[in-house]
Amino acid sequence: MSNPSDALAAPSRTSLRHRTRAVLREAGIGVALVALVGVFAMLSPIFLTSTNITNIFTQISINVILAVGMTFVILIGGIDLSVGSVMAFCAVVAGTVLKLEGLATGPAIALALLASVAVGAVCGLANGAISAYWAIPSFIVTLGMLNIARGAALQWTQARSIYEFPDAFNDFGSATVLGLPAIFLVALALVAVGWFVLNRTVFGRLVYAIGNNEEAVRLAGHNVRAVKIAAFVICGAAVGVGAVIYMTRLTIASPISGIGFELNAIAAVIIGGTSLSGGRGSIVGTLLGACIIGVLANGLILIGMSDFLRQMVTGFVIILAVVLDVYRARLTRAAD
Amino acid sequence: MADTPALELHGITRRHPGVLALDHVDLTLQRGEVHALAGENGAGKSSLIKILCGADRANSGRMVLFGEAYEPHNPLAAMRAGIRVVHQELHMLDELSVAENLLFERLPRNRLGLLDRGALRRRAAELLAMVGLDDLDPSTRVATLGMAQRQLIEIAKALSGDSRIVIMDEPTATLTPRETDRLLQLIRQLRDRGVTVVFVSHHLQELFDVCDRVTVLRNGRKVDTRPIAGTTTDDLVRLMVGRDLAGPSTREAPVLDTTRPPALRVEGLRFRGQRGATPLSFNLRYGEIVGLAGLVGSGRTETVRALFGADRPVAGQVFRDGRAVRIDSPADALAEGICLLTENRKDEGLILDMPIRANVSLANLPAVSRSGLMQAGAEADAARRMVADLQIRLASVDQAVRELSGGNQQKVVLGKWLLREPKVLLLDEPTRGVDVGAKAEIHALLERMAARGLAVLVVSSDLRELMGLCDRMMVMSRGVITGEVPRAQFDEEAILAMAYQEYTRAAARETTTVQP
Repeated sequence: MSNPSDALAAPSRTSLRHRTRAVLREAGIGVALVALVGVFAMLSPIFLTSTNITNIFTQISINVILAVGMTFVILIGGIDLSVGSVMAFCAVVAGTVLKLEGLATGPAIALALLASVAVGAVCGLANGAISAYWAIPSFIVTLGMLNIARGAALQWTQARSIYEFPDAFNDFGSATVLGLPAIFLVALALVAVGWFVLNRTVFGRLVYAIGNNEEAVRLAGHNVRAVKIAAFVICGAAVGVGAVIYMTRLTIASPISGIGFELNAIAAVIIGGTSLSGGRGSIVGTLLGACIIGVLANGLILIGMSDFLRQMVTGFVIILAVVLDVYRARLTRAAD
Repeated sequence: MADTPALELHGITRRHPGVLALDHVDLTLQRGEVHALAGENGAGKSSLIKILCGADRANSGRMVLFGEAYEPHNPLAAMRAGIRVVHQELHMLDELSVAENLLFERLPRNRLGLLDRGALRRRAAELLAMVGLDDLDPSTRVATLGMAQRQLIEIAKALSGDSRIVIMDEPTATLTPRETDRLLQLIRQLRDRGVTVVFVSHHLQELFDVCDRVTVLRNGRKVDTRPIAGTTTDDLVRLMVGRDLAGPSTREAPVLDTTRPPALRVEGLRFRGQRGATPLSFNLRYGEIVGLAGLVGSGRTETVRALFGADRPVAGQVFRDGRAVRIDSPADALAEGICLLTENRKDEGLILDMPIRANVSLANLPAVSRSGLMQAGAEADAARRMVADLQIRLASVDQAVRELSGGNQQKVVLGKWLLREPKVLLLDEPTRGVDVGAKAEIHALLERMAARGLAVLVVSSDLRELMGLCDRMMVMSRGVITGEVPRAQFDEEAILAMAYQEYTRAAARETTTVQP
């Protein structure tokens, strides 16, 4: 142990070491992603073409958006199973707004986006408030919401899809900016916002702290419930954005869309190194996790693997990621 | 062969980081004796019991059980060797029946390897009869039973095997006098069957009622083993406390400004589960360090937690500087300048996996942020300031708190509160699990803070610590303040007597009402 005054000498070498350790954690996932890309590049000549890469970005965009919100919920030690259903509900509400008579295209799109985010946020508020006030595991509450939102979407539309949206709206789903899909840029923007909130704001600090030790945070005078509820609201709002983006891709709003999307989002977060028990993880990890899932799905198709086998491989990867995480946690404990 | 002692301990030593929990303890338990273990909180009773029952292992020393080397690696090994413990805190399977709980380790099976329900019921009924619970249906779900019945079932469970040594750690804490009598009777029967019983109780009278010999531990050392006959309560207390009373302290009485209202005035405070009839009232002035002494479970922790709003009190009024204030949550307390260092730093004080700077700033985030954005520079500066003030030994403020020693971890918790510049600082066991050096530093720091006008209230099970540190001491016993002692009159025996007072009185009162 060094002399206490050493710690006063601003960023010491050890300080750097501690920061590097955190960065290395994400680097591990990055290395896995690069290795995966390398393997598929060798196995398939098509994999590294710009068309295919653009394809992958397009395919993972929705999942990235949902997973950013999910990261907040998992970091506070919760889970949100309602994401896919809420997304369908958001979509049909947004679709209805888009079809309103007498609205110019621009305002209609803006209003639709606003409505979608609002519906998502309200569902998140309900999830968060119920689980925080009655101390019910969010697993149960969001399982209920999964059914409620799906039912609401079907009821709202009488099980019919809404379509024939303005061209400007539909075009966005296939637009590219500087060679990258516009919707992927939206996803990246959300990643950036999520990173900023988690790493630079007081709220983000409390999210991590609550995931680690809720009681210590409460005894430090903070409103733990409010932070937990906010995490669910953020998740819901992200779903609202995701719903509109998904509509621009499909050019319809379907009440049966988004089934199972919550599981993909959770998988991205977990593969990205966020601990299911909360308190540890990052948005960058989540982005990398979503990339791994996307690359795997795309690459396995290119090498001709069947749907069923692909599903199995994805499952194995999820389990592998969690097992590796357990070992990593053990190693850091042992090092102390 | 019959002369071989039941259990011999030779030089048992157990070191925890910075603390010597047991220091070369020798002990001999005879067959068929009831042997009391006595000592203050932290004297080493629990550490010794843990080693006896295989829950912990000694660093050095050896044990001999009925003439054979005894080295239990886990509680099951101890049970197989015939040593059972009735724990202070009960571990029962609430959703299972009484019978299943009683015989859980050796459920009877029939020839097909299935549970033999008939035998289960029969044996359970026998065991229940032994502890006087004849009326209890063995198929009752444990969840429906009260604490006292559970305690008796736990004792019956200890009798279920071929136990040769039964260790009872505070078995009467939750029992009524009538149930206690039955338990003591049972202990005598066990002794007559040749079973050795080790008995721990805060109620000294019970030791005299049932024990043959007593061993007194103090600061991890064995002080004496002697027959209970011919020993008085006073002898026992003196042995527990030790003759060498606390050395002369250098702390001078602070000059208190009595014209001002006290920093904290508490009137009629009652917390949930309080046993005593009288609610708590006391004052705390700026610049003084007041100790809250008493046995574990006497209500000290509940008192400071209620004052901080960590748990809501049932009744009472708190005044800050003479103003009536309402404290419903830690946030309310912090707004009034009241901070609490809780007794359990790992579960309640620290976020172990987060960096030191984040832990120091946790209770004062507005000071290291601007419009909701963290100011990393300000945070690191604040943390480094605290590190320097408190002499925290670390490599970097970005280090996870987990990597620090117990003493330095505790200093981080202190730093978290001092960064808020509190007016009233409540501390619950501030030096538990802290090495001697850090302990002295924490004491010096508290004295410095008090000299600067901080009002300090310290809860500690270490009476010496309070005697060295405090200007005044309040003693709690069974939820009641039984005494208030100024520094000039500090006397270990007198304070200990106050700490035991309500327990003894309650036992005496209840015994007389029960008798026809």
